[in-house]
Amino acid sequence: MQSTIEGGPAFAYINIDLDPGETVIGESDAMSSMAADLDMEAKFNGGFFAGLAKAFLGGESLFVNHFTNNTSSTQRVTLVQGTPGNTRAVELNGQQLCLQPGAYIASTPGVQLGVRWAGFKSWFAREGLFKLTVTGTGTVWYGAYGGLLEKEVHGEYIVDTSHLVAYEPQMKLNIQLAGGLFSSLFGGEGFVTRVEGKGKIVVQTRSMSGLADWINPRLW
Amino acid sequence: MQITINRNGENYGPYSLEQVREMLDSGQAQPTDMGHVEGESEWVPLSELSNNLPEAVEKPPVIGSQDGDTYTPTGEHEHEFRIECKPDFSYLTVQVPANQTLKVEASAMATMSTNMVMKTKMKGGLSRFLGGESLFINEFSAQGGSAEIGIAPGSPGDMDHVHLSGADEIFLQSSAYVASGMQVNVDSKWQGFKGFFSGEGLFLLRCTGHGDLWFNTYGAMIEIPVDGNYVVDTSHVVAFTGGLQYSVESVGGLKSLFLSGEGLVCRFAGQGKVWIQTRHPMAFANWTYPFRPESNN
Repeated sequence: MQSTIEGGPAFAYINIDLDPGETVIGESDAMSSMAADLDMEAKFNGGFFAGLAKAFLGGESLFVNHFTNNTSSTQRVTLVQGTPGNTRAVELNGQQLCLQPGAYIASTPGVQLGVRWAGFKSWFAREGLFKLTVTGTGTVWYGAYGGLLEKEVHGEYIVDTSHLVAYEPQMKLNIQLAGGLFSSLFGGEGFVTRVEGKGKIVVQTRSMSGLADWINPRLW
Repeated sequence: MQITINRNGENYGPYSLEQVREMLDSGQAQPTDMGHVEGESEWVPLSELSNNLPEAVEKPPVIGSQDGDTYTPTGEHEHEFRIECKPDFSYLTVQVPANQTLKVEASAMATMSTNMVMKTKMKGGLSRFLGGESLFINEFSAQGGSAEIGIAPGSPGDMDHVHLSGADEIFLQSSAYVASGMQVNVDSKWQGFKGFFSGEGLFLLRCTGHGDLWFNTYGAMIEIPVDGNYVVDTSHVVAFTGGLQYSVESVGGLKSLFLSGEGLVCRFAGQGKVWIQTRHPMAFANWTYPFRPESNN
């Protein structure tokens, strides 16, 4: 399997060349174009109940599409995320990665998608009660609105809750106010996530709330 | 590999090896300039450095590497900073030295070090509110050591930096303000009816003083040197230097004001610089407006 991500950071798309016999799994609606000879099959996202859990708790679709190359030559499928912004790929080798709900786009069959309890603190910060995890062996593609920047954290770092896209599972997340009570209420920053530990995080360089705050005053 | 360049006692960089090679090729750096590789103890002339270093290793094809362009300051600047993901989703990261403070547009902070302390100041009171800029500017202070802050403006688009040297004066469209050093005065006082008619917010911000000033656009940014006269649609004006005369007028009399769709323009005269944006927010708003879901109440 060969894959490239083009069109970033504004309108990234993933070209995946499937060799004979290979399969790639995409979020429903992620396919923008594909070779006519590829077989596409909609399946529950990891079984009926697991699919329901991911759909309602992890912000993902109930169904996923399996794209399989049953021909004898290489065939291409092009997958995209719904929002403007960039896409990243990560190679998993048994390790785990936590994703912001809705960030998952596609993966190879050896990758399992799960939802994990994120805690009431996370819900309080309007990030949802659950988080999405990917684990296993293979490639995962994920994306978000904005550019995506990877950061190494040693110790502690603060990320605005709407900007955290992905993080390694050993990172501890704590929700706190951005400043004092007054600043947090009137300074427009509200809650932030305090990331603790040693590992990688990925942040998005734009947020939906920022976009809404920018354009909403002009829509009347 | 990060290389710092020293010329006549002044440090520049750090740059990547590829950047240094490019600078040597373009003449921006001289082979006789001294270079220092991060982690090494000695300074050596760049000529020696670039010969002894391994050829730039061809990077493995990192998938998803199209993060846009990164800008690091080459000219005068007060803070170390970089602007990443240019021009689509420009993202500013500033290093604030220990016990110093940076002014940042409210709600634009995306990431920061834990020793950064945020304070909200109601700058300029009501006039600031009327200026279309959010009512507050947040002040971020690096306590007990240097600290980093990542700033993400709301609108998709580009970002630029100017260094004010005391005598400079920059007028900013109020929504273009991103961040500034503490010695930069951001004045939102009434700019007269010229400002009123500019379409995009009632006020221009007048920035004076000394230090770094960052501003952003919706869309791409174009910096235009003006010598003589130049005309810009009011809603595309982002910033301009204070030495320019400007007047707001309709582009071709009253008739075209209503019929040409061009509305008001800003006519600049004199010598200076104008920064314009290649898209404007009201056009985006008007384009998306009909697609909003409407509630029935």
